[in-house]
This record gives sequence, structure tokens and C-alpha cells, in this order.
Amino acid sequence: MSSMGKLSLVILGSLLIFLASPFFGLSVISPEHIFQEGHPDAELFWRLRAPRAVAAFFAGAGLSLSGMVFQALFRNPLATPFTLGVSSGASFGASVYFYLGGTFLIRLGGVGPLAASLVGAALSMTLVWAITRIKGGFSTVIMLLAGVVINFFFSSLVLFVQYLSDSHDSLRIMHWLMGSLAGLETARLADLAFVVIAGLAMIVFMASEIDLLTAGEEIAASRGVKVSAVKLKIFIAASVMVGSVVSLAGPIGFVGLMVPHACRLTLGWSHRLLTPAVFFTGGCFLVLCDLASRIVLAPAEIPIGIVTSMLGGPFFLWTLFRSQKTGDLF
Amino acid sequence: MLKVANFSFGIGEKEILFDVSFAIPKGAYLSILGPNGAGKSTLLKCLLRLHEKGNSEGSIEVAGRPIESYGQKELATLISYVPQAGGWIPPFTIVELAKLSRFPYSSRLSSLTRKDLAAVDRALELTGLGPMRERPLKTLSGGERQKAYLAAALAQETPIMLLDEPMSFLDPHHTSDLEKLLINLSQDEGLTMVSVTHDLNHPFKSGGYALILKSGRALFFGEVEGLLRSGILETAFNHEFVHLSHPVTGRPVILAE
Repeated sequence: MSSMGKLSLVILGSLLIFLASPFFGLSVISPEHIFQEGHPDAELFWRLRAPRAVAAFFAGAGLSLSGMVFQALFRNPLATPFTLGVSSGASFGASVYFYLGGTFLIRLGGVGPLAASLVGAALSMTLVWAITRIKGGFSTVIMLLAGVVINFFFSSLVLFVQYLSDSHDSLRIMHWLMGSLAGLETARLADLAFVVIAGLAMIVFMASEIDLLTAGEEIAASRGVKVSAVKLKIFIAASVMVGSVVSLAGPIGFVGLMVPHACRLTLGWSHRLLTPAVFFTGGCFLVLCDLASRIVLAPAEIPIGIVTSMLGGPFFLWTLFRSQKTGDLF
Repeated sequence: MLKVANFSFGIGEKEILFDVSFAIPKGAYLSILGPNGAGKSTLLKCLLRLHEKGNSEGSIEVAGRPIESYGQKELATLISYVPQAGGWIPPFTIVELAKLSRFPYSSRLSSLTRKDLAAVDRALELTGLGPMRERPLKTLSGGERQKAYLAAALAQETPIMLLDEPMSFLDPHHTSDLEKLLINLSQDEGLTMVSVTHDLNHPFKSGGYALILKSGRALFFGEVEGLLRSGILETAFNHEFVHLSHPVTGRPVILAE
């Protein structure tokens, strides 16, 4: 099958899963009920399940796109929003917001967690960037190491904030850290969708540059790519996407690792094809994980971060062993 | 075509190149020689304008204009680059890598034109890689991969080509094969070639010019025959060499003691 054929199938399949998912859960909703005004199933469908499917889709798409560009940028399959410290920075921002929101009554309304996560993501990103710069140039290895260090640093700060918090806030932070799409505010969905679609547009626009960066920085520069400027733009776009997702749903791990790899195995490395595939597959993957989190222990709900981590751990190891076997990192 | 005048370069406190000057005309072949750490690769990167953050003095002119006056894409229509075959292997096929080289001519979101595809086909034909164009770079031998990089640079259709130790990972057969290809391309296509090399005999096969760098300074620049002047190579490498003539071709041959 041609690459375009595969891509069309991926998009079609993802859209079908996305559209079908709100019908399933603790109870199955019949399609004929969803347009009957006042019917309890219609309420359940439009007020709870559909917004949640949309949130899961854009969160999954955002995390997957970020993982894809980070891996291309660093030419390393283990580069994800987590290994680079961006999500722990965002988590720290949100934790501080929850803590201060309870004690000093800072009122930012619904955008509070988003703003705090973005500030946290920006802070971690700036630190990683500064460490890399101080060491001279834009070394991939130094940047990854800086990311790992910053990740540990912010993770411990999150624990510190949790330690300082009272039991209510502490529980809130802990629950949020597990990653969950339960109880999210519908009003914030538009923000998330806007950020992820803007990120998608930017990545599609820069697809050739990302391909060339994957080929190597010297090759990219000699083919006319402004390497540092392009890397900075992509890094900011990916970090803003991660910050937005984390602010809404907490740090949902491993999505940015699994989805881009699965897509590359099928479609190769051209980011013109890969980007739409990762967008739709990532969205659809998290929609399915969300469905699983609602069904497996129903009526209880497993935080979605636990579901993705359970799948991601073995996948991470598989990637590592596969890398060693093939003698390279991809 | 390429003129470097009193060029010095350093990163932070570390000075790497001092007062380097040379100029070569269109279609010339320049071999850059020197011991490890002499600044050869740095000079190549400066010619590619890869070192944005270093401090430089002096000037580099490409096709009569200062290198800083070019946009990155515009510069890429004049200078192409062939990296070493060792190290990172891009996850692309031969033809995909060659197609990426059309970036300086393409507009965003549009697909490659017929002219682009013709340039890619021609590059693969010149390097003899046509029949294996769909093979991933990872599955190639060192020699084949080096040719794939060369094909990608050719697809860029630039008058100047920079090569970073193109023969360093190759066995004698592939070395000879690639050397002949480079020399033919320089002569037949009129390409200006700048090649960093550790092979002291390469300049005598390619002809043209040689530049010897030592501790960041230009110890010698001139036509390759000048390398035979007594003591130059010995001073450059702190080593004794035997100068012979090739029994078949009569070309100078340098042997390390």
C-alpha cells in the first residue's frame, strides 16, 4: 500500500474511533437518543462524554506531536516532553498554583492552571536552554542531560510543594499528578484545541526543516535551514503544547514516546506524512486510553496517566532493547 | 570563487583559527591538510556559516560577496556539503536524502517540481546510485553511504562543494573509486571542490591547490606541487616523510617514515 493510502487509513480509523468513543462507557448510549432533547443519554453524551473525548483527542495529539518533534530535534528516540523536563516544569507551575490558590486566594479563574503550567514549562525550558547555551552552542547531548537534571529538580520541587500543602491540596495535587481527564472544565477545551491546532500548523509548515534537522544539523544548515532559529521555534511550540495539556489533564506520560514510534514504523520519517498521522493517532490513542480508564474498573475510574504509564513502561523498554539491537538510536 | 582573507575565529576564550588567507578560482580543487586539531573542520564549518556564535575577524567572500550578506537559503544555492560517513546515519533512503537537498529551491508546502526531480535523478546517475535509490542509508556500506551523501550534495546543484574527510572510513577500493568520482566531477562539471583530507597523496591525484593548517594558522597555501618543497610536510606534521614517484603514473607519492 502506498504511504498516502496508509495515511488515509490512519486518519479514517482515528476519526471513526473518536466519533464512536462517546457512545461507550459504563452504559452504552444508543445513537437515536443523542438528539432527543431532555433524554438522559443525550445529556450524558453532550455534556460529559463528547467534551471528554475532545479533550482526550487534543491532549493525545498535543503530547504526541511534541514527542515527535523533540525526537526529531534531538535525534533520540527517548526524547519526550518528560525526559526534557518540560512536563515536570509545567507540573511544578500547576502545583504552586493549587497550593497558593488555597492559601493566598489568588484568583485567576479557569485560566489559572493553564497560565501557571505555561510559566512552569517556560521556566524549565529556559533553564534547559541556558545550561545548553552556557556550555556553548546547541549540543543535543548536553540539552538532553540538562533536561534530565531539570526534570529531577522540578519533580522534587513538586514533592516539596506537596509536603508544604495541607491534606486537601496535597490530595488534589497528587490526583492531578496522576493525569486525569475527569472533571475538566469544558471552557478550557477551546484553549487546548487552539494551541494544539496552532502547533500542528506550525509543524506542518516547517516539515521540510524538521526532516533536514533529522538528517543532521550540518546537513540542515548546508541546505539552507537556519538551525538555531528553527530549533528554538519548534522547542517553544512543543513546550506550549505540553504546558497546555499538563494544565488541563496533568502530566500524562509516555504518549509522546509511543505514538510517534508506532507511526514511524508504518510511515517512515518524512514529517509531511508523519505529522498528520501522529496528530490523529495520538488523539485516537488517548481517546482509547480514556475509554479503558472509564471501563476497566467501572464504576470507578482509573486516572488516565496510570493507563498510559502501564502501557508505556514495557514500550519504553522495548524501544531501548530494539535500539541496542539495531546498533543505533532509532 | 572563494576568498578567505585574514580570517581568525574563536569560541569564547578558545582561539581556533588565526589570520588564515587563501583564494581559489571557479572550478578549482582545494585540499585542506593538517594534523588533528589544526582547525580544518572548523574552517569548513565557517565556510558553511555553521558557527554562528563564535567571534570572527577578517572576511570570507563567496562568488564575490561577503558570506554574511547571503541568506541561509541563498548560500545553500552556492555551497553544498558532504559530511563524513561515520557517526549519525539519517533515517532516510538515498533518494529521500537527495530530495531534501532541493530545500533551497522549494517553497514551503509545495511538492518538488520536475526540475527538482531531474536534478535528483542526475545526481544519482552521476554517482551510479540509480539502481539502489530506494535503499535506506542504514543498510549501505561506508563507501555506498559516502556516495549517497555526495549524491545528495550534487542534487543541490551548487557551484561549490565542501567535503569533510570523504575517504576517512573507506577501504582502498572504495577510496580509489570515490577519489576518481570526485576528480571527474570537478573536471567535467566544473565544480569548485574544497576537501578536508588526511591522505597526503590525495592532492597529487586531484591537482589544484593545497592548504596546510597547523595550530590554526595557514602554514602553506599554493598549487599542490608546492607541497614537495623540502620541509613543508615535515614541519606541518612533525614527522619524516619519503618523497617518491609512482612507478606507473609518475605522480609524486608521499610515504610516512
